[in-house]
Amino acid sequence: MPFRLPKLLLGSYGLLVVGLPLAGLAYALLGSVGLAGPLAAGCTGRYWLALGHDTSLLYAALYSAAVAGAVLLLSVGLALALVLGAQASLRRGPLLGLLYVPLLMPTLVMAFYLFQLLSRAGWLARVSYQAGLTGRLEDFPELVQDAAGVGIVLAQVLLTFPFLALLFQAIYQESRLDDYYQLTRTLGASAGQFRRRVALPLLLRRAAPTLLLSAVATLGAYDIPLLLGRPYPQMLSVYLTTRLQRFDLRELPAAYLAGFVVAGGLLVLLVLALRTIRRHAL
Amino acid sequence: MRSNLLLGTLAVLFFVPFVLLALLAVGEGWRFPAALPPAYSLAAVRGLLGPGTDLLAGLGRSLLLAGTVAVVATAGGFGLARAIARSAWARHWEVASYLPYALPPVLLAVLIQPFIIRLHLSGSVGGVLLGLLLMALPFATLLLRSFWTRQATEYEQLARTLGCTPGQALRQVLLPLAWPLLRTALFQTFLLAWFDFGLTNVLSVGKVRTLTVQVFAYVGEANAPLAAVASLLLLLPPALLLRLNRAALLRKNP
Repeated sequence: MPFRLPKLLLGSYGLLVVGLPLAGLAYALLGSVGLAGPLAAGCTGRYWLALGHDTSLLYAALYSAAVAGAVLLLSVGLALALVLGAQASLRRGPLLGLLYVPLLMPTLVMAFYLFQLLSRAGWLARVSYQAGLTGRLEDFPELVQDAAGVGIVLAQVLLTFPFLALLFQAIYQESRLDDYYQLTRTLGASAGQFRRRVALPLLLRRAAPTLLLSAVATLGAYDIPLLLGRPYPQMLSVYLTTRLQRFDLRELPAAYLAGFVVAGGLLVLLVLALRTIRRHAL
Repeated sequence: MRSNLLLGTLAVLFFVPFVLLALLAVGEGWRFPAALPPAYSLAAVRGLLGPGTDLLAGLGRSLLLAGTVAVVATAGGFGLARAIARSAWARHWEVASYLPYALPPVLLAVLIQPFIIRLHLSGSVGGVLLGLLLMALPFATLLLRSFWTRQATEYEQLARTLGCTPGQALRQVLLPLAWPLLRTALFQTFLLAWFDFGLTNVLSVGKVRTLTVQVFAYVGEANAPLAAVASLLLLLPPALLLRLNRAALLRKNP
């Protein structure tokens, strides 16, 4: 019986995909109350109490949320502008194929490229120096490893917006929005009204789960903020790994606590958002 | 006219990375404020085979890891998707499959790291493989779940009625039918593992030097030419996959 899957296989799968992450979450919780980890010294609530005074996790969460919000807003805006404004070009010619090119790029390579392009000794700075626009390194604006996270946002947008444009285009075609366009025009609506009142709500609602996962992915981004971000403020994933990799083992419980709070928070956020999306689904 | 302008802008935006990486790979002594390298050399590219660098080993390691993840996740996902489709708890299994896929890879790595250490897999290829499979297996399972409809089951039953053994039904009926989805799962799980840096770096503690880990190391050493060569190597398999099958590269939410 080469293809009869025993229940054991499903059980092992459950252990791997549910058991391991949940065990990790439980270990982080136990570590945060002093019951697990290399220096576990018995039950204590002091790390949880200290969380109220430690603003670094809150800053990292707010900074990540701001970056993820900006990335989502810009990427969705650009992708919608492309799909709704250049529909004819997307249907014929090489434009659609061109959008696949950034999908080839690992996030780390994108971060390295943008560092080489936008840093104060980068290629754009060199071109502006040669063109006489800047006279010294410091004259070029700080676009990477900056406090506002401009480099991080740029890198994420460059990777996200072509993917979203391809997604919106697939939904546009599957939903036969061209037929709706003809219909709304026949009924007297303008092209702008069709875009605002028919196409936009439909595209956004049908793409909502993917947009949500994309926002969560940006919220937990690691490679790009590691190369293009600053030591402070840090994005969540970089903040967590930095805290966990410190040499002082006494800091581990606080790091476990941060890991537990972030993972739990993300899961709750995801469940709530998915429920809302499902309630308003088309 | 507007369309050509748009096409030109996007082409420049998307192809400048390749040009800049190529210039960095072959440029020699390229320092600020020179806009172009003063001299060109293939030293960094030749370094691929040189004794001082382990780029070629990194390429092999990455290919082996991503290839293994793709094959195991796709084969496992195919069987698991079938088992889930026939389970009384199908919906629950589907929701459960989203759990590791919903957390950022680095966070997942941070959470499971204590267990990887206890299993003596920290800093080993096995540990990285387990971590990558934790992401890739549910992804492939969810993607392949759509194959196991009533129709697929009926085809299988028909083949068995006509005298096929379970193995023959699998090889001669189900696998050919599922091939387009299997190919997509293979490509996407390969890329998932190929592109990964964070999870690999955390679980391997920097010891399993895949190409992405090497890019990061070279950037840290300010060795832009080797980082550029490693980056270009990282772009090769996805480019090949894009040429082979464009649709399979679009990572749809399963």
